[in-house]
Amino acid sequence: MAMTDTGSRTGHPTGTPFPTVPAGGPVTAGGRLPAVPAVVPGVPGWKPLAGRALLDRLRVTGRPRPLADPDRVDRLRRSIEDGIGPAVTTPDRPLVVTKGHLNRALSCDAHREPTGFGDRPFSLPLAVGALVDVLFRQLVTTGSVGDAMADGLDALSVDDRQAGLLRWIGQLPYGDRRALAGEVRRQAAGLVERWPALDPAWLPRTEESMRVALAGGSVELAARVDLAVGRPGLDVASVGIIEVKSGSRRPEHRLDLGFYALVETLRRPAPPFVVATYYTRGGELDVEPVSDELLADAARRTVAGVRAMQGAAVRGDGGGVPGACAGCTAQAGFEG
Amino acid sequence: MSRADELGVALDRNLQASTRAERITDALLAPPTATISPTAREAVRDRLLRRVPGLVEELPVGAQVTIGLPLLTRLARGEGVPLEPGDPFTWKPAFVRRSLGLAAIEACLVQPYRWGPSQAVGPVADRAVAEWQRTGWRTYHWEPWFAGLGGGARAAVLAEAGSWAVPLWVALEWHRFRVPPRLGGPDDQWVCAAPRTVRLRGRSEVRATLVGEAAGGQAPPVTGTALVSVAGGVLDRRGWEAELAFLALVASLRSPSRPVPNRVVGLWLQSGDHRVVEITDELLDKSASRVIAALEAVVSAGGSASGR
Repeated sequence: MAMTDTGSRTGHPTGTPFPTVPAGGPVTAGGRLPAVPAVVPGVPGWKPLAGRALLDRLRVTGRPRPLADPDRVDRLRRSIEDGIGPAVTTPDRPLVVTKGHLNRALSCDAHREPTGFGDRPFSLPLAVGALVDVLFRQLVTTGSVGDAMADGLDALSVDDRQAGLLRWIGQLPYGDRRALAGEVRRQAAGLVERWPALDPAWLPRTEESMRVALAGGSVELAARVDLAVGRPGLDVASVGIIEVKSGSRRPEHRLDLGFYALVETLRRPAPPFVVATYYTRGGELDVEPVSDELLADAARRTVAGVRAMQGAAVRGDGGGVPGACAGCTAQAGFEG
Repeated sequence: MSRADELGVALDRNLQASTRAERITDALLAPPTATISPTAREAVRDRLLRRVPGLVEELPVGAQVTIGLPLLTRLARGEGVPLEPGDPFTWKPAFVRRSLGLAAIEACLVQPYRWGPSQAVGPVADRAVAEWQRTGWRTYHWEPWFAGLGGGARAAVLAEAGSWAVPLWVALEWHRFRVPPRLGGPDDQWVCAAPRTVRLRGRSEVRATLVGEAAGGQAPPVTGTALVSVAGGVLDRRGWEAELAFLALVASLRSPSRPVPNRVVGLWLQSGDHRVVEITDELLDKSASRVIAALEAVVSAGGSASGR
């Protein structure tokens, strides 16, 4: 899906393209922090949605909510299982497929991230992302954030997977640490100002983990979403999934949403009614209503990704599927 | 009502009938279809008492083996016996989420946290800390650790517990329990009399009392019990029956005077799967075989492992 998609789903004027905000912030020893978009470039007068308006944007997709349909689930499951063909893995050692795996497997050499989550070298953007993630979780859970940097570091300190990042932050030179704290506080302030309080009735849960076994357990689709709201297991789609990003828009973010919608659909009778990405840097919100087309696209992409992963494993290379690279598609969209 | 409210109404419909929850609750609370005969129960116990001591003789003196459901599942998936954790125990949110999440659900059942455990985790944690500070008694063990946390870390714990509890909260129709269920509490444990300590540990999240129809103005008769077990990951379609039955096995060994649970419901909340197993004589015996096989695996791994 090209990045020239209109802004109608985001609160931008319809027909306005969504350019990727170019990186251009200060270069520091810890890496480059992206420039702060005071307003979305090319959209005079645009202001991020806040409070009730943001909530309504998430809740009101303009489309009827899908109904729970076991046949849809069967169709999607069959299309994936038939598409990936005979499994090269076994239930004892399943091929675990995440959004990151798919993105890497389907990217061309030029656009492929060199490493996956957890393997990336520490940088200021990565640190901002980790801190903003835990602050978002705090805001959703308690409704408030104190000193954003202190609270964020505090939350990371009880997550042993973040011990290395915490050490890295602790060793940053003064200037870098100040830049990091400044950006974290700025994004947190934006979150506190704009993010709506969620009624407990919507059953908000953060970092929700989703897994689905396919092909007799030899393939597992796995995802962890920043926020899920709404009661699952009803006859009508009632779950919304929101992903939070502290960095710039990237072409694969929308594809990630499709993957989340697919995994949620496969594990429930009803799909989510909406999937969305919220960008804390500038307050943009990309909303994707869930439809059968979106789910079918996500299933096809998953098949392509799994086949690429299996092929890459056999060939011992990095994968890549002609025509499937999100980076190339976005580039073509701009150039076209 | 605005258009937004109209279109968003399904999100708010917390009390709307949930078909999946209805099905699971139906299965959980249905009248028992089988009971374990005292003879079969005794036979399984005798079998374990006969086999286990000989198996563990090779282990070093002082060795302890704990067998729980996670170890059985792990072995069934061919993942081998886990190594003993090298690092000393330290609290983290993942270790608190179950006990705090279950306490939050319990609070929702008896107190006005009508919108679910996300609303209850904060007050429940605060109450637990206050109670510990007042009496020195640690109901959940994590109270002193939690009390010493800063705001960000505390929020991380509450988020973890609330997010763990919500899927369980919506998986069952709690208002249909005619006798209040027991949530959490101590694990069922049975220590086998053997030269090395062998402990079977069964952990269930919910213990439901099954009741029949009341007659003649009397209280409805208790007809049995059922357990609910929350598992992580995806349902492994090989051997789940004996794995769930393991919880009934430990319960039956722990207290010979109490009836064996009639059924166990397994919830794999991450994958949305659930399975119900009615406990039979045969299944109890099959589960004992899994225990013996697990013990053999631990012994052949040098006994340096344990499992919950």
